[in-house]
Amino acid sequence: MARERYIKQLDLLKESVVSFGMMVELAFKDSMVAVIDLDVKLAERTLAFEAEVDKLEEGIEVSIFDLLALQQPMASDLRLIVSTLKISSDLKRIVGLSINIAKIPGRIEGGHIKPLIDTKKMADIAADMLENSIKAFETQDVELARATAARDEEVDKIFYAVWVELIEMMAKDTSIISKATYLLFLVRYIERIADHCCNICESVVYLTTAERIKLN
Amino acid sequence: MTETVLNVAQSQKIAQPHIEVEHLNLWYGEKQALMNISMQIPKNSVTALIGPSGCGKSTFIRCLNRMNDLIENCRVEGKVSIEGKNIYGTGVDVVDLRKQVGMVFQKPNPFPMSIHDNIAYGPRIHGVSKKDIDGIVEASLRSAALWGETSDRLKSPALSLSGGQQQRLCIARTLAVKPSIILLDEPCSALDPISTSKIEELIMDLKKDYTIVIVTHNMQQAARVSDYTGFFLMGELIEFGQTRQIFHNPRERSTEDYITGRFG
Ligand SMILES: Nc1ncnc2c1ncn2[C@@H]1O[C@H](COP(=O)(O)OP(=O)(O)OP(=O)(O)O)[C@@H](O)[C@H]1O
Ligand SMILES: [Mg+2]
Repeated sequence: MARERYIKQLDLLKESVVSFGMMVELAFKDSMVAVIDLDVKLAERTLAFEAEVDKLEEGIEVSIFDLLALQQPMASDLRLIVSTLKISSDLKRIVGLSINIAKIPGRIEGGHIKPLIDTKKMADIAADMLENSIKAFETQDVELARATAARDEEVDKIFYAVWVELIEMMAKDTSIISKATYLLFLVRYIERIADHCCNICESVVYLTTAERIKLN
Repeated sequence: MTETVLNVAQSQKIAQPHIEVEHLNLWYGEKQALMNISMQIPKNSVTALIGPSGCGKSTFIRCLNRMNDLIENCRVEGKVSIEGKNIYGTGVDVVDLRKQVGMVFQKPNPFPMSIHDNIAYGPRIHGVSKKDIDGIVEASLRSAALWGETSDRLKSPALSLSGGQQQRLCIARTLAVKPSIILLDEPCSALDPISTSKIEELIMDLKKDYTIVIVTHNMQQAARVSDYTGFFLMGELIEFGQTRQIFHNPRERSTEDYITGRFG
């Protein structure tokens, strides 16, 4: 086959986005355990992760720019490059949100104002979405991408329920406002992470079919 | 909800194609070089023909002004209509046809005469009166983006021009007889990038007045200049469609392999 080196570069690019995705998934899951258990040590591990992620993302960008400048990618190759660029920026945003989450344990003294049952459920769905959107990218599975993005609705539902619940709790007892506000932010961060997973799923559909669609 | 930005016009039939090819077959002796080609080319568009060496691009483009008539042993079947009229039908004047469908080749081939006379040659043959000639020469050179470089040296030999200038001169010579279609067979393959980009700009300018068909081995060139692209392989037209669709999301595996360089 012609252009073997080039094809290897494309394969490598795809692989690095997949491993980037798996690292991000880990960071998000750790940050959630840290915030639920208010485990500051674990939270610090997530925070330390930022530099590593930056390096990985930069490496991916550099290889994308090189491929664009030097190889004149066309057709599905071009779509792969464009979608990896978009996916890695979504992943970077998810890391940023996970870091925001990991900062919460250090700011909440004592315990939570309520058990984080629904919030955990919501985070589990978002983590599943993240895992599956990366899997859909790896296998170019349009069906999986669509099914994954569809779960955003469940996340949004829980988000609004928790939001309303927290507002009501604050109205009743103003002494919890500070702690409750962190929990409002928390569900908002998780909701945003699920949105970025939808973006990744859209990129997977574009990569595979050249169709640009909105999935959330 | 689904917004399909691509794959639009390719399947719809063009109402009044400028060029319509139907079931075209061509043989050189026993060997079939074109197989059942059908294609519709709209007016004032640029169509690029791509494909590996020997796939029949030049053979095909020569069918559009019956240049293959000059080749011994060459037999054509099928229909090529220009503005609805079959050019392989009876009563077609081939000289008129080639005036209507001009052609520029890979290697610039100016006549060994002055710049002025190269362009005046065609109009003179077609009986244009002497007083109109200079106007046609200037207009043709201007249209071919060569006037600025040659207006003060019209009497110089055409062969004293650079390769890129010679190629633009050949385009000007083609324009001088007022064709409606211009065929270009790898017009830039002997040119440097600057001359190439001048010809490309020229092609895009000319399409407001002409229908253009260009054979090119340069995929980026096809993507840059054309509205439609046809991919040939071993005498067959594998895929024909809007250029942005072909280079973004080709339908056929072999087209994809060719344009991404995985071929062979
Ligand atoms: N005058 C001829 N006599 C016999 N066979 C010919 C003649 N011209 C072309 N052929 C054959 O027809 C086939 C198509 O040739 P053609 O020149 O059209 O290919 P092409 O796509 O223009 O290739 P290239 O990109 O190299 O210019 C080839 O197999 C070629 O050998
Ligand atoms: Mg040729």
